[in-house]
Amino acid sequence: MAELLQYVVTGIAVGMVYALIALGFALIWKSSSVANLALGQLVLISSWFTYGMLVQVGLPYWIGLLLTIVFAVFLGWSIERFTLRPLIAQPILSLITVTLGVGYFLEGLVSFIWPTSVAALPHLFPKEPVHIGPAVVSQEYLWAAGISLALFGMLSLFFKYHKMGIAMRATADDQLAVQACGVPVTSVFSMSWMFACVVAAVGGVLISLIGGITYGLVETGLKSFSVVILGGLDSFIGCMVAGPIIGLAENLGGGYLTPIIGPGIKDIIPFIIIIIVMVIKPFGLFGEERIERI
Amino acid sequence: MLKLNNIEVVYLNVVRVLHGISLTVEDGSVVALLGANGAGKTTTLKAISGLLKVEEGDVTDGSIEWEGRRIDHSSAQEIGKLGIVQALEGRRVFGHLTTEENLLVGAHNRKERHIIHQDLEMVYHYFPRLKALRHNIAGYLSGGEQQMLVTGRAMMSAPKLMMLDEPSLGLAPMLVEEIYDIIKRFNDERHTSVLLVEQNVRIALNIAHSGYVMENGRVVLDGSADFLRNNEDVKEFYMGLSAVGVKKSYRAVKHYKRRKRWL
Ligand SMILES: Nc1ncnc2c1ncn2[C@@H]1O[C@H](COP(=O)(O)OP(=O)(O)O)[C@@H](O)[C@H]1O
Ligand SMILES: [Mg+2]
Repeated sequence: MAELLQYVVTGIAVGMVYALIALGFALIWKSSSVANLALGQLVLISSWFTYGMLVQVGLPYWIGLLLTIVFAVFLGWSIERFTLRPLIAQPILSLITVTLGVGYFLEGLVSFIWPTSVAALPHLFPKEPVHIGPAVVSQEYLWAAGISLALFGMLSLFFKYHKMGIAMRATADDQLAVQACGVPVTSVFSMSWMFACVVAAVGGVLISLIGGITYGLVETGLKSFSVVILGGLDSFIGCMVAGPIIGLAENLGGGYLTPIIGPGIKDIIPFIIIIIVMVIKPFGLFGEERIERI
Repeated sequence: MLKLNNIEVVYLNVVRVLHGISLTVEDGSVVALLGANGAGKTTTLKAISGLLKVEEGDVTDGSIEWEGRRIDHSSAQEIGKLGIVQALEGRRVFGHLTTEENLLVGAHNRKERHIIHQDLEMVYHYFPRLKALRHNIAGYLSGGEQQMLVTGRAMMSAPKLMMLDEPSLGLAPMLVEEIYDIIKRFNDERHTSVLLVEQNVRIALNIAHSGYVMENGRVVLDGSADFLRNNEDVKEFYMGLSAVGVKKSYRAVKHYKRRKRWL
């Protein structure tokens, strides 16, 4: 019972971080129909960057985290500005391929700067575990869930009420019409990449605080793909619902199936879910319906 | 004042679709740009608004002047900021946004909050129906409501020149009249110039002061609305009327009535 509850709580918490990272994917996909295949590497590099700032440079936590956000914004801006913008109006496949290239580039960069493959961030949250009923959960999980939820709330408000947020949603609907309204779509694309990199960085730091910094972070990005696919690619709510589902499935499957099937099952579960979803519901749980009116 | 001097437009560096268009829109006037499908009307509007660049089109010759300065090399946003707005053909609302959000996007380049609020009220004053629908999702509005919405969205930028691309397309005559009355009132009350692209020549000439008729990327006829209305060619080719035609359609009406009695 204690074990089950523990799997459930940590699964949901980690799933919410996946959801946060997935949000960044959905954002870019919505505004520009580009699938960002560098998601995992964005998570990886910003976690290492945080490590560099906090451990190697030895900055205080809040400055280090602030710099990580600045770094993420800059990363998002430069990826859009220098690799995607020159390709505007090219076939969408070239754009997607470019993000794949960006991903490999970032991964190479990481192994060049930080050849050690494992590291840990210093503790940010209090070390005492929390008791939830019979289960004992370390605080990182709860903070991770809370921060993800808070960021999701802030982004939702931004998209609902802020002028730029509304313009970004409008761009998702009609790129030409939005330009006829004087909205610079290039800044919309740029903005969506900056947001995506920031949520990837925050997600990366949260996951690293739980499980350390490893190349497994790239897989965290991949798991966020399964979240996006389950949630329906362009739906923010879909991400927030699908994230905990994936996290739960992964944890429960990992916890109870590993003794039977063997280790490794935990990492496969999200992808099994992707395949099942693709077969049953190709547009995901919350995939946006096309509004057709004649 | 807007002035096009002999402009040529080429798409994708090869397809030339405008062969020397000249036209003038005086401040505060309504000018109709008429012609059949494929004549180049939309292309002309996009050349003015700068949207052509987005579609890999270029003004390769001639010049476009707005208030005395050349704008044919400016970007769509710059041109928007100078007070020119284009409502695209085909009622392109942002389908997943509400009516009010659609209108707000139209005011994207307006700075002050209270002015935007005033503009919203102004649009709701012209289109009371939009006010009732302000929280509805635009994708589910009727065709007429969507046309009102894109027209209102264009108004939200507080334009000096509003360009409308076939606002009557596919709408019931009653609705077309309602929308045209509003466009006319907007022009009268706010002195906004209007460049109106239409295939529905009769309705366009009802509110226009002057007009141009395009064919195959050229202006083939222009003049005051009165002149065009009474021009035999315009009547025959664009209004579907001719000396015989009137009689014919009269007979058709009678025929219809007779049949109806038998039913
Ligand atoms: N983006 C484009 N690329 C190439 N040719 C185009 C493009 N847009 C329009 N055309 C061509 O330009 C001509 C004029 O089109 P258009 O300006 O849309 O006419 P209208 O609005 O009068 O119906 C047509 O022959 C059309 O095929
Ligand atoms: Mg047209």
